[in-house]
Amino acid sequence: MADKKSSFWKRGNDTKLPGRAQPVANSPDLRPRSKTFEEYEKDTNDAWDDEAEDLSHLSSPVKPLEFNHTGSGEFDVKFSGKKAPLKSRIKEVVKPRSHTTGGMSTSGGGTGVQHSGSDSRRNAPQDTGRIRSMSPPSDPFDDIPDRETIKLQKFGKLLAGPNTDLEQLRKLSWSGIPSSVRATTWQLLCGYLPVNIDRREETLQRKRSEYLKLIDQYYHMRDDSIHKDTFRQIHIDVPRMNPSIPLFQQSIVQECFERILFIWSMRHPASGYVQGINDLVTPFFVVYLSYYISGDKNAETYDLSLLPNSTLNMIEADSFWCLQKLLEGIQDNYTLAQPGIQTKVMRLKDIMKRIDGSLHSHLERNSVDYLQFAFRWMNNLLMREFQLRSVIRIWDSYLSEADGFATLHVFVCAALLLKFSSEIQSKKDFQEIMIFLQNLPTSAWTDDDVQLLLAESFKLKYMFADAPGHLQN
Amino acid sequence: MTSKEEEYDFLFKVVLIGDSGVGKSNLLSRFTRNEFNLESKSTIGVEFATRSIKVDGKVVKAQIWDTAGQERYRAITSAYYRGAVGALVVYDIAKHMTYENVERWLKELKDHADTNIVIMLAGNKCDLRHLRAVSTEEAKKFAEQHSLSFIETSALDSTNVEAAFQNILTEIYNIVIQKAPADGGQGGGGSVSETKVIKIDDQKDEKSGSKMKCCQKGN
Repeated sequence: MADKKSSFWKRGNDTKLPGRAQPVANSPDLRPRSKTFEEYEKDTNDAWDDEAEDLSHLSSPVKPLEFNHTGSGEFDVKFSGKKAPLKSRIKEVVKPRSHTTGGMSTSGGGTGVQHSGSDSRRNAPQDTGRIRSMSPPSDPFDDIPDRETIKLQKFGKLLAGPNTDLEQLRKLSWSGIPSSVRATTWQLLCGYLPVNIDRREETLQRKRSEYLKLIDQYYHMRDDSIHKDTFRQIHIDVPRMNPSIPLFQQSIVQECFERILFIWSMRHPASGYVQGINDLVTPFFVVYLSYYISGDKNAETYDLSLLPNSTLNMIEADSFWCLQKLLEGIQDNYTLAQPGIQTKVMRLKDIMKRIDGSLHSHLERNSVDYLQFAFRWMNNLLMREFQLRSVIRIWDSYLSEADGFATLHVFVCAALLLKFSSEIQSKKDFQEIMIFLQNLPTSAWTDDDVQLLLAESFKLKYMFADAPGHLQN
Repeated sequence: MTSKEEEYDFLFKVVLIGDSGVGKSNLLSRFTRNEFNLESKSTIGVEFATRSIKVDGKVVKAQIWDTAGQERYRAITSAYYRGAVGALVVYDIAKHMTYENVERWLKELKDHADTNIVIMLAGNKCDLRHLRAVSTEEAKKFAEQHSLSFIETSALDSTNVEAAFQNILTEIYNIVIQKAPADGGQGGGGSVSETKVIKIDDQKDEKSGSKMKCCQKGN
């Protein structure tokens, strides 16, 4: 039995099925390039150092990272050695504006983000810090504009071609993409835009006119008896997908979404439209819209009648193709019986068992089944759990990985559970736990909170990728 | 913040099913939080809420599972019928198709739920008088034929929402009481924690037993 399992995780998955989630141990973006933590650390140097910052209050003498699950003894890992694994430290970009939003974890004195809920993190590695000579702890904000500028310059250089180095772009994007270059970067990361800059314009034109042809070809079929149920479902769902965001209440936008979803559905009969897919269009739409409106305007409240029709058509087409790319990677989430979701929820459960045994048994004791709360997390990629702007930031990281929406996502879910571990464990019974999990208190999350969550997910993912044995037995 | 869970005498699991967009989530939010949201988000998978009411002097806690209406989800949601002692099958009185599909939902229950589950048919959105597509008489007759209780509701203006849940919970209560009197239900010198709980799992175990036997009609 153990043998069977180990061979499952170690081998046998190299046969990649389209849409099938890759087992953590074989995360394709990690395995081929880096076998050890150190190598990976070296590889990802840029992604972490260039714009992430050590926070003064987190800084402590360099310590080896330690994972020590004392409770059950299921889990005990140590990375020790001459040098500290710098990349696994929690770091975050501190943006001055985010401190005004009164997020849950801003610390006194505005010095940065503090880890709240220390209980919930007790199984996580201790934060180790390193005082950077260039950023004196006393004034953590001083060099931030510079860092942002430097990052933007790096993006500018990469995007300018003549051929964008996708590997570099991924590394740079993982820790967040500046909004001014996000649209182009996403399109490159999706594989929608070619890396060669001379081919981009022509490709866009071709794809956009191709999309128009698809509308001609398929959209009239929405009234056919065999398709009208699908269209009816889309038509019901679109107006209610983001009630609090004015952009999505405009009928002109809703019509775009209906076309995108219906056409996608027609072209993917194995799954067809499934509730929740509509949510997945929104980040693309907002990011691509932002590209065309001037920087000081907020896409979420933008009046689309101000936009030329031709521009709207481009946004619609680009959103369609990128949605298609995204869904290619998670198609089995939406096929009959939704096997991709079942697999991912199982994996989440496995991970939790290892990283937070006491939370896991609390859930089991109270008969809370992971599927009951995590189904939506997987089906809607946590879009119901976070504000749209947070989702967009999370997608920066997802898009930076080869199958981030399938693999990294599960670790983000795990990090989320870890984050709220102590609160969940303070809930006394099934009812309380479920209600809490259905309404996670994330609405006030700042960029920093999201950044922390991603850092935690990265650690977890790395930990399991480097030590597949953790998911065995 | 950690409001102590209320004491209750009975816990009944009830599922809300029916086509997408008929107003299941709003019935739930109206009943449990007295809220209504014209543009509430679609339910993904299942969502869950509770409320306690008094029936016959006893506290009955309703654990209500709101399910997604789309067909694709049924493979998953059918698992949630397990242990349900009541089901509210909801349609939209202004959309005849959602009423026609009630048969499919009944079949769904027949296939996946306890055979003795108490079923109530609810025609929601009865505030939309001018758009009515399903007559009260027609639905009533259908309910009688299938031994279901029937009610028309409006989550928007609150019409009959309380009544609907009160009725189905009372119906369940009566059945449970009827079949339970022998086994210690009245144990005069009963111990402190004599709470009777119809639990999700108990229900399954007792499936073969006599729980809610012959009670489709309630009383």
